[in-house]
Amino acid sequence: MTGLGALLRKELLEQWRTTRLPLVVVVFLLVGLSSPLLARFTPEILKAVGGSQFQIVLPTPTAADAYDQLAKNLGEFGALIAVLLAMGSVATEKERGTAALILVKPVSRAAFLISKLAAIATTLGVATVIAGAGAWFYTLVLFEPLPVGGFVAAMFLQWLALVAYAAITFLGSTVTRSALAAAGLGVAAFIVLGILGIIPVVGTYLPTGLGAPARALALGLGHVDALGPMSASAGLIGGLVVISWLAFRRQEL
Amino acid sequence: MPELKPEQIIALLAPVVVIQIGLLIAGLIDLGRDERRVRGGNKVVWALIIVFVNLLGPIIYFVAGREDG
Repeated sequence: MTGLGALLRKELLEQWRTTRLPLVVVVFLLVGLSSPLLARFTPEILKAVGGSQFQIVLPTPTAADAYDQLAKNLGEFGALIAVLLAMGSVATEKERGTAALILVKPVSRAAFLISKLAAIATTLGVATVIAGAGAWFYTLVLFEPLPVGGFVAAMFLQWLALVAYAAITFLGSTVTRSALAAAGLGVAAFIVLGILGIIPVVGTYLPTGLGAPARALALGLGHVDALGPMSASAGLIGGLVVISWLAFRRQEL
Repeated sequence: MPELKPEQIIALLAPVVVIQIGLLIAGLIDLGRDERRVRGGNKVVWALIIVFVNLLGPIIYFVAGREDG
């Protein structure tokens, strides 16, 4: 795969210089910090807003609620950010003609694609680590400590799901010349996978199926079989990269 | 669940508020630069997105709104 190292360095530098990396990290940190806060104070906020008319008794929030809030926010905001990062990655370069300029150099098309998705995955990875660290610390202060090892493993599964959404959008960005069309594919996949995720057996092997083992790991709920969902999502990402390459290798730029 | 004093709650909320306001201001300052070109050409629309699209507004602008971003 000619030129992968050089292209990867270029892409990572681009993630930094276009402020995408720091910006996504900051937004994920915000998600990480605000999730335990929301979990802890939502009952009090509702009580204060509802006043004496508010009769529903809400259960006392726990560390599990803090994790659930984090998983929900990462699953929604995080997935949309993954789509945003991937939507223009190839399509915009084709539209502007910069892809053709790069590919006249001794670099393969496979390296061109892999370096781009790897840079997006790195940005999402750094951001997920920061979000996880922030959420873990706030959960410790507001509730109780969660098992560190399990929480780290849970964040890895959350990251894998985000990379899967990025890879779907990346395929759209490779096939079309429109970043908006790619984003449309990413958002459509997010909705469809969300619906398919409800189906018991099928749902386990979709990116949405990573949520249940991630939760069990984060909360230390005993034995967790994460290997199946993890392999399925990794396979999906690999398959999407191969399809992107098959579409891109003979594409007119 | 540990009991928290008001000043502890404020200390925990402060980073969240600072980040949210910081993102909004950074987005608007970048948008306000004379040489900045934006997707669709309409800076007012992007200003509205930055201000009103909760949390995601500034990042939508920084990632997808800037022509050279």
